Amino acid sequence: MKEARSRSFATGLTSSDDAGPDGKGTIRYATRSTLGASLLRGGPIIALLLLSTYLSFASPYFLTTNNLVNVARQVSINVILAVGQTMVIISGGIDLSVGALLALSASFGAVAMTYWGLNMWVGIFLALLVGTMAGLINGVVITKGKIPDFIATLGMLSTARGIALIVTGGLPVPSHLTATTLKAYLPEGLIWIGSGDILGIPVAALVALGIAVTGWAITTRTVLGRSAYAIGGNREAARVSGINIEATKICIYAIMGLMAAVAGLVLTGRLNSANALMAEGAELQSIAAVVIGGTNLFGGEGTIVGTVIGAVIMGILANGLNLLNVSAFWQRVVMGIVIISVVVFDQWRRRAFESY
Amino acid sequence: MPQVPILVMEGITKEFPGVRALDQVDFQLCQGEVHALLGENGAGKSTMVKILSGSLNKDSGRVLLRGKEVEIGSPSRARSLGIGMVYQELSLVSSLSIAENIFLGRWPRHRSGSIDWKRLYEMARAELEKLGLDIDPRIKVGLLSVAEQQLVEIAKVVSQNVYILLLDEPTSALSDRERERLFGLIRSLKRDGMSIIYISHRLAEVLEIADRITILRDGRKVGTVSVDEAPEDRLVTMMVGRSLSEQFPKTAAAVGQPVLQVENLSVSGVLHDLSFEVGRGEIVGIFGLMGSGRTTLARTLFGLERAKSGKVYVDGARARIGSPMDAIRLGIGYLTEDRRQGLVPCMPIPPNVTLSSLRDFSRFSFLKRKLEEEMAERFVKDLRIRTPSLKQKVARLSGGNQQKVVLSKWMCRKSRVIIFDEPTRGIDVAAKAEVFQLMSRLAQQGIGVLMISSELPELLGMCDRILVIRGGRFVAEFQASDVTQEQLLKTASGIGG
Repeated sequence: MKEARSRSFATGLTSSDDAGPDGKGTIRYATRSTLGASLLRGGPIIALLLLSTYLSFASPYFLTTNNLVNVARQVSINVILAVGQTMVIISGGIDLSVGALLALSASFGAVAMTYWGLNMWVGIFLALLVGTMAGLINGVVITKGKIPDFIATLGMLSTARGIALIVTGGLPVPSHLTATTLKAYLPEGLIWIGSGDILGIPVAALVALGIAVTGWAITTRTVLGRSAYAIGGNREAARVSGINIEATKICIYAIMGLMAAVAGLVLTGRLNSANALMAEGAELQSIAAVVIGGTNLFGGEGTIVGTVIGAVIMGILANGLNLLNVSAFWQRVVMGIVIISVVVFDQWRRRAFESY
Repeated sequence: MPQVPILVMEGITKEFPGVRALDQVDFQLCQGEVHALLGENGAGKSTMVKILSGSLNKDSGRVLLRGKEVEIGSPSRARSLGIGMVYQELSLVSSLSIAENIFLGRWPRHRSGSIDWKRLYEMARAELEKLGLDIDPRIKVGLLSVAEQQLVEIAKVVSQNVYILLLDEPTSALSDRERERLFGLIRSLKRDGMSIIYISHRLAEVLEIADRITILRDGRKVGTVSVDEAPEDRLVTMMVGRSLSEQFPKTAAAVGQPVLQVENLSVSGVLHDLSFEVGRGEIVGIFGLMGSGRTTLARTLFGLERAKSGKVYVDGARARIGSPMDAIRLGIGYLTEDRRQGLVPCMPIPPNVTLSSLRDFSRFSFLKRKLEEEMAERFVKDLRIRTPSLKQKVARLSGGNQQKVVLSKWMCRKSRVIIFDEPTRGIDVAAKAEVFQLMSRLAQQGIGVLMISSELPELLGMCDRILVIRGGRFVAEFQASDVTQEQLLKTASGIGG
C-alpha cells in the first residue's frame, strides 16, 4: 500500500476517486467526517428530543394537544424573526433592530386599520412596506455609510421605537379608550391570523412555516443565499470573486425588515392590538434561536432548519418552565444560562470535530 | 562540524483522522548545527516541529534531550526544556513596544508592582545587541516591517534561554536583502552554540543556510544528507520522486493578438506610467522585489485599487475597470497572492468553483445545483484536485489543491486573461509542477497569462517575456530565453542593470 501511495504522489496520476493519501485512509476519513458532521448538525435536534422526553415525563400536561398547539403559536413569532436573522448572521451581519422594526410596522399597520380607517389589505401592505423600507435603510446605512452592522441596527432600534411611539401616541392601538370612542377595532381577518386556526393548526404557525420554507429556499437555492454565505465566509474572497456585496447585504436586511413586519402583524393579531413597545427583547430571542440552531455567529455557516429547531427548543423550554411552576423571574435566569451553555457546548463541538 | 547529538527523536508516529502525518520518523539534531527539514507541504515537517514545540502530542516514539527521555506535552513545557519556536504567523502585540513584546508577561517590576521601565529597556537592548540588532526597543512593534518584526520575535524566543530554536518557513514574507540579514543572524546564533531546526520547502535557501538536511515525504523520512554531498536535483528527486526537468512543463504556444493592453497606467505614489501587453497564448512574467509595485499592478488591473490615469484594453476594446465585478465581466481572472483571498473556506468545492459565474449557473436567480456539481466534478477530475469528496470544505484541502480550486473558478468563468500572483507560494513541489502544467495548458488554449513572481527559476521556466518592475516603473524587458537569474536580480534591485 505504501508503494502505491508514493507512486500516486510522484506521478500525480491519482484520480479523484482514490483521492486520499491511501485507500484505507480515505474511507476512515469519510466515516469520521460524516459522523462528525451529522453530530454537528444533529446537535440541536438531539437536545430538542432530550428536552421533550424529559418534559413529557415531568409534566402530564406537556404532551397534550392543547399545550403543543399553544407552544406552536408562541414560537411562531420567534421563528419568523429568527429566519430573517439567520440570513443576516450567515452574511456576517447582525440585526439588533428586529424587535423595534416589528413594533414599528405593527404600529403603522394597526393605526392605518383603525384610526385611518383603511382596508385590512391596505393596512397589511403598509405594514410590510414600512418594515421592508426600514430594513432597506439598515442595509444602505451599513454598506454606504461603511459602519458596523451592530451600530447601524442599534441606532435603528432606538429610532424605530421612537417613530412607533410618535405614530401611536404612546398608546396601544386600539386601546380601550379609542375602541369605545372611535369604534375602531382591528379587522377580524388580522385577529384570525394571530389567534385562529385551520384544522386545529394555528394560522400563526402556518405563516411561520411558510416563512421558514421561503427562508430555506433563499439560503439553499438562490444566488442571493449563496452570496450571503460567501460574504459571511470570506468577505474578501467574495469581493475578489465579483460578488456584489453591497446589493446582497441591502437585500438581506430588507428581507429581515419584511419578516419583522410579518411577525408584527401576527403578533398584533394575537394580542388584539399593537403598541410601540411590543416585542421588547425580541432581537435577543431571535439571535439566541439562530445560535442554538448551530449557525456560526461570525457568518458563513448555518441553516434555516437548525434555526427553526433552535426557536422550538426555546419555546418548549419556556413552556416547560411554566408547566413546572418555575417563576417568571427564574425563567429569565434559566434562559440566559441555557443560551450561554449551548454556545459553549457548540464551540467545543466545533473544535473537537473541525480541528485537525 | 557538529558532532554531539543534543536532541534525538526516535520512531515518531502521529496520526490524524485518515492520514498518517508521521510514520516512524527518526531525527537527530547536533549541538550548534542548522538542520533543515525539507519536504513538500503535507510531508510532515510542521507536524514534527509542532510535536517538539509541544503544540501536538506524538502517538508513539521517543524524544531524548541530551540523552534523557522527555515528554513535552505543552508549549510552556517545551520552553522550560529549552526549545523555542518561531511561528510562521508572528505572535507579537502590535500596539506594544519591542521591549514589552520581548518580555511579554515577564516584565521586570518595582517592589510596588509597577513595571520597571528603565530595566525593561536595558534588558531589551541587551537582548537585541546579543543578536547584533540595532533597533530602539521603545518603538512600537506595529511600526516595524514584517522582517523586523520577525527579528524581534526571534529575540523574544532567544531571550527565554532556549538552546534549540525551531524556525518554520521564516523567509516566506521576506525580500532577498531581509533574508540575508536573517541568515546572518542564524549564523551568529549558531556560532554561539544554538542548535537550529529550519523548516522550508525552498531548496535554494536550505542549501545556503543548512549544515545537514533531512528530507521528509508523505510523513516518512527519506534520508538525511550533509549539504556538501547533495546535488540539487537529487534532493528534488528525494522530495518528490521526480526530477528537476519535469518541474517546468512549458510547452510552446502560438502567441496571437494582444488580449490585454495597458497604456500609461499610474497609481498615485506607487505605479508610474506602465505600458505593456499580453498576447493570446502568451505568458508574461513580472519580476520585482517586495514593494516594487508588482502586486499593486495586479490589484489595479483587477479593479481592487484605483488608477490615477492610464488606459486598459481587453481584446482591443477600451475597458473601464472600477471594481472586480467589472474586471470579471471583461474576462479577467485573478489568483491572489494570498490564496485565502480567493476561497470561501467553509464552503465545499462546487460553490467555490462557481462563485464567479453564478449567473451562468442560475435561472431567475435560482441555482442550478446539479449543474454546479457536474462542473465541479469535471474540474476535480481534470485538474486532479485531490479530495475525498466534492462535499469537502476547501479549508481542509492542501495548499496546492486549494490553488487548483481557485484556478477552476476562473476557468469556469472562461476568463481570457488570468493574473497569477505568486501562484506557488506555500505549495509543494509536486503541486507546483501541476500548476505550471495547467498554466501552460491555458496558454495553449489562447488565454493570456500574467505571472507575477519572486521565484526566478519559475519565471524563467514558464514565461515568454519577463518585465522587471522597480519603484513602480518597468526598468527592463527580456525574452525569457536570453536572460539569467543574475541579470534579472541585478536589474530588479538597481545594481548595475
